[in-house]
Amino acid sequence: MERYSHGEDAAFAELYDAIAPRLLGFLRKATRDDFAAEDLMQQTLLQIHRARGTFIPGARVMPWAFAIARRLIIDGARRRRVERRLFSDTSVDDAETYEPVGEMPTADDLVHARRLEQRVRERLDALPEVQRTAYLLLQQEGLSLKGAAEILGTSVSAVKLRAHRAYVALRAVLRETGEQS
Amino acid sequence: MNAELRARVLSAAAAEESPTRAQVTRRNMFLSMVAAASGFAAFVVFAVFMSEGEMVRLGGDVAVQQHVERSILLVLMTAGGALAVAAAALWLAVLRGQSMLGRPGRWLLLGCVLIPIGLFAWKVGWSFVFGDPMMAWPGRSGLRCLSVSLLVALGPLLSFVAMRRSVPLHPALNGAAMGVAAGACAWVATDLWCPVAYVPHLLLGHVLPLVILACLGALLGRAMLTLRRGLQPTITGRRRSGPVAGSSQ
Repeated sequence: MERYSHGEDAAFAELYDAIAPRLLGFLRKATRDDFAAEDLMQQTLLQIHRARGTFIPGARVMPWAFAIARRLIIDGARRRRVERRLFSDTSVDDAETYEPVGEMPTADDLVHARRLEQRVRERLDALPEVQRTAYLLLQQEGLSLKGAAEILGTSVSAVKLRAHRAYVALRAVLRETGEQS
Repeated sequence: MNAELRARVLSAAAAEESPTRAQVTRRNMFLSMVAAASGFAAFVVFAVFMSEGEMVRLGGDVAVQQHVERSILLVLMTAGGALAVAAAALWLAVLRGQSMLGRPGRWLLLGCVLIPIGLFAWKVGWSFVFGDPMMAWPGRSGLRCLSVSLLVALGPLLSFVAMRRSVPLHPALNGAAMGVAAGACAWVATDLWCPVAYVPHLLLGHVLPLVILACLGALLGRAMLTLRRGLQPTITGRRRSGPVAGSSQ
C-alpha cells in the first residue's frame, strides 16, 4: 500500500492478492451472496484505490478495508430497502439477495446438518447488523477485540457485548434444535 | 482466487485516475492555505466594515459615561488559551492519527462537547479574575460576534471537509468535529475583537456559533464525507440472479 500510495500502479495487484481473499471471505459470510460479495469487494478496492493518496504511512490496511466493506454493505442494504419500498415490482430479485441458498439433502444426518445450518444462518441474519458483524469479525475472521472495535468504530467493551449477544442468540438455536431432535 | 474477478478489479482501478500521496499533500497544503486565508480575510473585512478597522479591541463604552477597558494581559490569556484549544481541536478533527479510520467516535463526541465548554470556561474564568469585562453591555447582545464567528469559520470548515473527502466511520461525527474545530479557530479571532465577557453575550455570540457550526459540519459530513459519493456501478454484464460462475471459495 505504501508503494501504491506513492504512485507505483503495479503495486495494486500485490495489494489485491494480499487483501482480497480475506476480504471476499468476510463479504461472502456477511452477505451470503457470491455476486453481491464480489461486487462489494470490487467497490471496496476501488474506494481504496481512490483514497490511496490519503494513506498514512505505517497504518494497517485490513481494518480500513473491512470498515469500508462494512459501510458499503450497510449503505447497500439501506438503498435496497428504499428501492423495495419505491418499486415493489423489482423487489422479488432484491428480496432474494443475501438469502441462504438451500440444497437438497442426500441423507438424514445431512438433512439435520442442513437444517441446523439454515437455522443458524437465519438467526444470524435476524441479528442486528452490529451484533452480526461483531460475531463475523471475531469468530470468522479471527480478529482481536481491539481490531474489531477499530473497524466498528466503537469500544472493546461494546464489541464484547455485541458478540456476547450474538453467541447467546446462536446458542439458543442450537439448544432448540437439540431439544427438537 | 477468481482470476476473472481479479482482472476486472485491476482494470477498473487502472481505468480510474486517483491522486498519489504527493498530489494529495499538495492539495491539502493548498486547502490549508485557503482555510487560513479565508478565515483571516473574513475577519479583516468584518473589522474594516463593522468595527472601524479595529482588529483587537481593549474596551468600549458600556453606557453613557461608563467606559470599560480590558488589559493586554487578559487579552493574551484568553486569546492564548483559546488558541491552544483551537490547536487541540484541529489535531482532533483534521488529523487522523496513525489509523486510516481516523479518531475513535468517542473522542470526536467528547471533543464536540468539551471544546465549547472549555473555551467558555476559560474565557469566563479569566474575565472573572479581571472583573470589569463581565458586566452587562446593553448595546452588545452578541449578534455581531455570532455573525463574525460564522463568517470566519465557514471557509475553514469547507476546506476541512474537502481535505478528508471520504470517511468510512462516523462521517457526521467527523463533520461535527470539523465544525467545532473551525468554530474554535473563529473563537480566537472573536476573542481578540470582542471585549465583552458578559455571560449571556458569550452564550449567544461566542458559544452558539460553535453549536451551529457543529450542526452544519454534521450535515456536511453526512452529505459529503460518506463513501457513497462518486461511487459507480461496478459489475456489468452479469446478472445477480444468474449462476455463480467463476466464484471460488
